[in-house]
Amino acid sequence: MAVTSKRGTVATPRSTNRQPGGLSLGAIVRYVLLTFFSLLAFSPFILSFLGTFKTPAEITAFPPTILPQNWDVNNWVRVWNFTIPSVQGLLLPRWLFNSTWLALLNVATQLFFCSLAAYAFARIRFPGRDFFYFAIIASLAIQAAVTIIPAYVFYSNIGWINTFWPVIIPRLVVPVGILMLTQFFKSIPKELEEAAYMDGLGRFGTYWRIALPLSRPALLTFAIIAFQGSWNEFLAPLLFLQNPNLMTLPVGMSFFRFQYTNDLTAILVGAMFNAIPILVLFFFFNRYFIESGSYSGLAGQ
Amino acid sequence: MATTSPKMTGPSQQRRRSLATREALTGYLFIAPYLIVGGIFTYGLLFYVFGLSFTNLTAPFSRVAPQFVGLDNYVRAFSEPDFLRSLANVFWYFVVVTLFQTIGAILLAVLLNTRLRGIRFFRTLLYAPSVTSSVVIALIFFWLYQRFGIINYILGTEIAWLQEASHLFDPLWRTLGVQNPAYFVRGPSVAWMAIMVMNIFTTIPTFMVMFLAALQDVPGYVYEAAELDGATGWRSFWYITLPLLRPVVALVVILGTIGTFQVFDQAYVLTSGGPLQTTLTPSLLIFQKTLGRQTTPEAGFGAAMAFILAFIIVVITIIQRRYIEPATQQ
Repeated sequence: MAVTSKRGTVATPRSTNRQPGGLSLGAIVRYVLLTFFSLLAFSPFILSFLGTFKTPAEITAFPPTILPQNWDVNNWVRVWNFTIPSVQGLLLPRWLFNSTWLALLNVATQLFFCSLAAYAFARIRFPGRDFFYFAIIASLAIQAAVTIIPAYVFYSNIGWINTFWPVIIPRLVVPVGILMLTQFFKSIPKELEEAAYMDGLGRFGTYWRIALPLSRPALLTFAIIAFQGSWNEFLAPLLFLQNPNLMTLPVGMSFFRFQYTNDLTAILVGAMFNAIPILVLFFFFNRYFIESGSYSGLAGQ
Repeated sequence: MATTSPKMTGPSQQRRRSLATREALTGYLFIAPYLIVGGIFTYGLLFYVFGLSFTNLTAPFSRVAPQFVGLDNYVRAFSEPDFLRSLANVFWYFVVVTLFQTIGAILLAVLLNTRLRGIRFFRTLLYAPSVTSSVVIALIFFWLYQRFGIINYILGTEIAWLQEASHLFDPLWRTLGVQNPAYFVRGPSVAWMAIMVMNIFTTIPTFMVMFLAALQDVPGYVYEAAELDGATGWRSFWYITLPLLRPVVALVVILGTIGTFQVFDQAYVLTSGGPLQTTLTPSLLIFQKTLGRQTTPEAGFGAAMAFILAFIIVVITIIQRRYIEPATQQ
């Protein structure tokens, strides 16, 4: 079967080799391949989720089992109750809490400051606008691996190590959000805003009352990118949040992995604590996730 | 500006100018948060790392004032076996991962680009691996890659994937009778290849959706015209789809390059650079040198390595732009 174009707008039925009502051979081959690859893509999550209910003996059994022999929730309880001598209280709930509020805070500040800057780049004329826009694009190439050392030195000197500041302040506003939302604001018609501006709403009022409500889908798409970025971030929190009390889930999980090298069920439960919230979010908002995926690269062009 | 007849345009022009000034001030005010944050934490730190790379700063919090040492750190970097080894490792990683993730992403996008019933369901399942964090994936594969794990069971092998330090091309050199081939030409180690496979598994979906978005922007008549000319199936893929995807290929390769050269999370969580440093990456080495858990911290030296890494990434992406992109201008 030929490669079919499937844009909704191009509604030309060109599948000459597809009988109405029946499936062509091409479609069957496609279904088989799609099923195979989908299983391959999703099986690690299913297998490890099932694995979390196995006993330590069963998890390393050979040949491996797929379904646990006895469903045992004890592993989840054990990981939830994980403590270390130097810290009071349970660690896992704390990491979950840290990751959650940090991600929500990052999303909130990035939505506001990125859309504000994007609005200026799309609508307001000021000297140096193109220069600053270019600087934002160029900054995408400057990645964490290059700046972690000076960041570490700098934060040590101002007393930021083992505080949350290094994962809040540098992330108040991020380039990818500005680029993406600028493109979006440019694509919506100005007329509505101009009328509001003439009525004396002012620039901020126009942005806040007119432009933002019109951009809900784009804002949601960007919120997903921002949340995913914050929730999954590893290197920066690993360096700057070394106190187990302050760790986020991914850092906590890696800490956990080095504490329990051989306790595979515990490691898998840890992975699930990190994966399940974002996977649930993904199944509810998968359209926005996928849109954000196709967007995040293009914003960098 | 035309100010030749101030009498006629004076007041209104003045008003317009003050309006423009207000407008500009508003613009700066709106972008001020980024100017401050980006100015300090991106560009400021970039200059700082450049400056630090010429000093002998040890611990980041050292009370001893660092001294200027000229190019010493750079000279030393190129004779440091660990650093050269990490560059060789990351080079193989970049070649293999970028190649296979791009090909895999294109093929899956083409497979998904159809009007079949339930296609959104498949798209959702296929995208799932890129939603979770690299740490989650690493922990899951840590289990799958066990000697008595599922992967060995399916393959019928008994390999300790993450502890195996033999290299891809070792058998080749052995049959050729070459004794002690250079580290670089031995290729990636088994452990490193296991991490590559895992990484490809998670990044294919990310790039798949970019290709899918591009494919869906191709109007249907392009393929219809091709079909009239007798181009279907593989011919239509090769002569129509691929050339149309070329700008996205360029983007995906460049993003892949930037990503693979900085690989850190997976190597840190799974192998910490071992076995025999065959999974040591520049980012991991820089991290170790800065924190100095194993040795005395050498932040100045780490900064020089970071700058060399950044330089290599920039050079390679410029070369890629030159060779992949111009053809799109046709």
